[in-house]
Amino acid sequence: MDDEVTSPAQESATPSRGTLTRVVRAIGWTSIIAGLLILGFVVQQLFVTSWFAEQHQEALGEEALEHFATVEVGEEAYVPPSGDGSGNGSSGATGSTNNEGAPTTGGPWTIQVESTPDLGDAFALIRIPSIERLQEGWAVVEGVRVRDLKNGAGHMPHTPMPGQPGNTVISGHRTTYGAPFHELDTLSPGDLIEVETAIGVSTYEVQELKIVRPTELWVTEPRNGAWLTLTTCHPKFSSRRRLIVFAELVDGPNYKAIYP
Amino acid sequence: MKHWFLNLPGPMAVKVVIAVLVAVVAIVALFFFYDWVGTNLLDTGGTIG
Repeated sequence: MDDEVTSPAQESATPSRGTLTRVVRAIGWTSIIAGLLILGFVVQQLFVTSWFAEQHQEALGEEALEHFATVEVGEEAYVPPSGDGSGNGSSGATGSTNNEGAPTTGGPWTIQVESTPDLGDAFALIRIPSIERLQEGWAVVEGVRVRDLKNGAGHMPHTPMPGQPGNTVISGHRTTYGAPFHELDTLSPGDLIEVETAIGVSTYEVQELKIVRPTELWVTEPRNGAWLTLTTCHPKFSSRRRLIVFAELVDGPNYKAIYP
Repeated sequence: MKHWFLNLPGPMAVKVVIAVLVAVVAIVALFFFYDWVGTNLLDTGGTIG
């Protein structure tokens, strides 16, 4: 019969329905592809980078232990600063010390020192007993270049080595590449941070946490005594600010010489 | 996608090889792009200065 005969109005409706279908299909595919790209980004950032970092950590941990065994540890005279706020003290004539570096006379005193490692080399292990992921120790490499921080926490060059007088600065990822400093915001004054280097284990006590802008270089400036400054991104999943943890040396091979 | 694949040069085996190579290059490029975005916007490693 004539049931299949279409009116002019119906004929004009058919192509527009096809166009609508194509548009909806294009929107659907675009959404699916965008979703997959975003999912891929999340998986890559949270899991793939951390997997790579953990692989590197195993090797770097061994490298750090080898560094402890092979690097030459020397002694250097140290005169504590007179409280003028200038920072790191100074080296000079050798004073009288016992075999632990503790002063037995009025100083100057000796502190144990090690040479600065090459950029990218693992030379220390950082442990924070109150943070589960850092209880076993996380390798610290020399340098804070992008590729250094992909492997481990990074020691900022030109700041003292851990356990030395002044302000040692160590940076680390908050959410990616193993996220060693993921839970740094849970620290509170009084918590302990241990840094093992070739000279031994230096223990720091958290004094203060601060949120600063990434450009606030004052946090890296020298300080009287021996300090450890940890820096990481803040808030989580953003690099807009920096979370800073200031900790002061409370025990270690050089403690008695730095705080006579 | 189907048209792109069918328009690749050569017999079917060559088309498949080219498609796989293009996919691998795209995934690697995407990986580096993700990495760049992540280390510049999401988590720079907490460096100062």
